[in-house]
Amino acid sequence: MFASKRLSKELLKMQDHLPPGITIVKSDNLEEWQMDIKVLDSNPLYQNQTYRLKFTFSNKYPIEPPEVQFIECPSTSDHPRPIPIHPHIYSNGIICLDLLSSAGWSPVQTVESVCMSIQSMLTANSRDERPPGDSDFVSYNRRRPRDINFFYDDDNV
Amino acid sequence: MSFELKQKGNALFKEGDYNGAEEMYSQAIQKNSTEPTFFTNRALTRIRLENWTGTEHDARAAIALYGAHSTASLKSAWYLAQALLGQQRPQEAHEVAVTAYRLSLKAKEIKPKDSQTENLSRVVLRAKQAVWAAKETARVRELDETLASVEGLIEREVERGVEELRGQLERGEIGAVGFGEEQKEIRGEWEEKGRRVREVFGIAGEKKGLVERVVPDYLIDGITFEIMHDPVITPSGTSFDRVSITKYVEQAKVDPITREAMTVADLRPNYALKAACEEFLERNGWAVDW
Repeated sequence: MFASKRLSKELLKMQDHLPPGITIVKSDNLEEWQMDIKVLDSNPLYQNQTYRLKFTFSNKYPIEPPEVQFIECPSTSDHPRPIPIHPHIYSNGIICLDLLSSAGWSPVQTVESVCMSIQSMLTANSRDERPPGDSDFVSYNRRRPRDINFFYDDDNV
Repeated sequence: MSFELKQKGNALFKEGDYNGAEEMYSQAIQKNSTEPTFFTNRALTRIRLENWTGTEHDARAAIALYGAHSTASLKSAWYLAQALLGQQRPQEAHEVAVTAYRLSLKAKEIKPKDSQTENLSRVVLRAKQAVWAAKETARVRELDETLASVEGLIEREVERGVEELRGQLERGEIGAVGFGEEQKEIRGEWEEKGRRVREVFGIAGEKKGLVERVVPDYLIDGITFEIMHDPVITPSGTSFDRVSITKYVEQAKVDPITREAMTVADLRPNYALKAACEEFLERNGWAVDW
């Protein structure tokens, strides 16, 4: 109830206007949306690439954060969507971002503002690497992203 | 015995047999007319049946049994406000809802889960909208009536002019050809005036619809994205609607903007903003659905 009203308002606003590099891919239900984002500057790590984000909302949104992760579309498909390389993004698409944790979330954030934060997280990065322990995390993690206690130690990335 | 009837009523209500449930509650009330829950349950059943006068009766009976200042009566007040709205009595509904909303804020300090604050907050807004809609309908009707009487005046003016011409014709002051031409001229002239009058009324009537319906951002709650009805301000200086910020702060225990520790007790009413919201809603009842 809470979530669907707020989400339909966000959608209306976004259909009206979206910041550059952000497009809505799927918003036909109010539980899961998909958004495409592009990095706008000339950062060679991400140039000419489009990445796909999946948002999953609980009915407590926006009191609780949405679950946000990158999803991959194979390079053979019409719209290939890789998982961007970044020291805070695991190769299974899970993003380690304070804003998306229960402790770091604020209900004044929106789908649009989350997309923009992730855009700038990519823009600011120059390291061509995955988080430490990526392969272990990807093989063993079965927890939901927001329940993972990431260690936000590296604010410079 | 009477409580057994209530149980039966509850079972029928769950099955969606509202007529059957109403009958059971009525029998329970026959046996014992001092038990408020019989009335509240029948009131809810009658809401489902859209029997508004019946709902009003039951809600008032329950409130009287609980005592109007008892927080136990809040749910009944919520039913009562809905019943009054259903009967096109938005002003009364508004008063009931606002009073109950205030009472519910006190109740919240004691029993947060049980309080009707959120429901009442919504019905306050619904009532404001209905008050506006009634005024708006009256305004449009008045406009229509004014237009009709102006058109009547024009019609009479034309008739008077034509009568005068006919007199001149009968007295031989003008010929038949002149009469025909003059009559045509008079009619044409007033037709043109009538067209202009309708145009002006049309513009005045349409203008409301043409103006883009946008609620200014400063009246919007940053959590629900809806217009606020009871804005409160956080220590960091941002205002939210009481219902939504309370939900957040109870859980997160921080200010949503600065993330500094805070509690619900740190929220302060923002009266100036509340007045601005109320003034806006008085003129723009549609904003409730925006």
